[in-house]
Amino acid sequence: MLLELSEEHREHLGFLPKVDHAVVAEFCRIAVEFLRKGANPKVYEGAARVLNVSSNTVQHGVEGLTYLLTESSKLMISELDFQDSVLVLGFSEDLNKLLLQLYLDNRKEIRTILSELAPVLPSYHNLEWRLDVQLASRCLRQQIKPAMTIKLHLSRDGEHSSQVLQTDPPTLLHLIQQLEQALGEMKTNHCRRIVRNIK
Amino acid sequence: MSKGSSNHAKLEVTNKLLDLQWKMGMAVSSDNCRSLKSPYVALMLKVADQSGQITNKSFEMTIPQFQHFFKQLKEMAAVIETV
Repeated sequence: MLLELSEEHREHLGFLPKVDHAVVAEFCRIAVEFLRKGANPKVYEGAARVLNVSSNTVQHGVEGLTYLLTESSKLMISELDFQDSVLVLGFSEDLNKLLLQLYLDNRKEIRTILSELAPVLPSYHNLEWRLDVQLASRCLRQQIKPAMTIKLHLSRDGEHSSQVLQTDPPTLLHLIQQLEQALGEMKTNHCRRIVRNIK
Repeated sequence: MSKGSSNHAKLEVTNKLLDLQWKMGMAVSSDNCRSLKSPYVALMLKVADQSGQITNKSFEMTIPQFQHFFKQLKEMAAVIETV
């Protein structure tokens, strides 16, 4: 699968052949930092001064490189396809080799960072429970009514939340039965086959 | 002066208490203590905000907490008698 590079993207990348290979490698390092922590304009200004170009040019060069690497990593492009996609830029053989090496070296880390960007549902953190017996209420005295009070602790992106719920024993038993059934599904041939194939 | 302060008091109240329900129960067991004998009172307040949206607020009190709460309500009732 080939990458399609837009006019603007190619223009930004056009800066790369004008600098040393060492600088391209450094841009790649800045690009991965950019992915992990966000843009740092001071870095661009520093590089622009050293290379004697505008800070915009440096920024576009780094962003172009970032986009090239993230799109390739996202789609898990093969070596061959990457080389063919980059050929269209008309760079030297050496620069192409360097770009390929940067892609292969950083692909795993970029994919790890990208995997953290997917939407996250709150996940289970803890469950506290309490068995109560209701003895009286505003409308009825002298009762014996068992109830289960549950505090469900959830967390999402480091933020904690909790929900207090109450249920009666028959509903709780039904809930447990449903959950056991769901767990049981993992043991069916169908699920076993899928899990085996994913591994 | 008093007219001004009563208007000010009205503006402060944004939520209206519509209903108060209670129940009393005993906690007999929990995930960190298997054998309990802890009575409690639970209140559920039905509250309407300025836009009319109704929410339920529930909370629990131990018996001593409830006795303190009740004492406050009795004092409120006594003061209203004098108005």
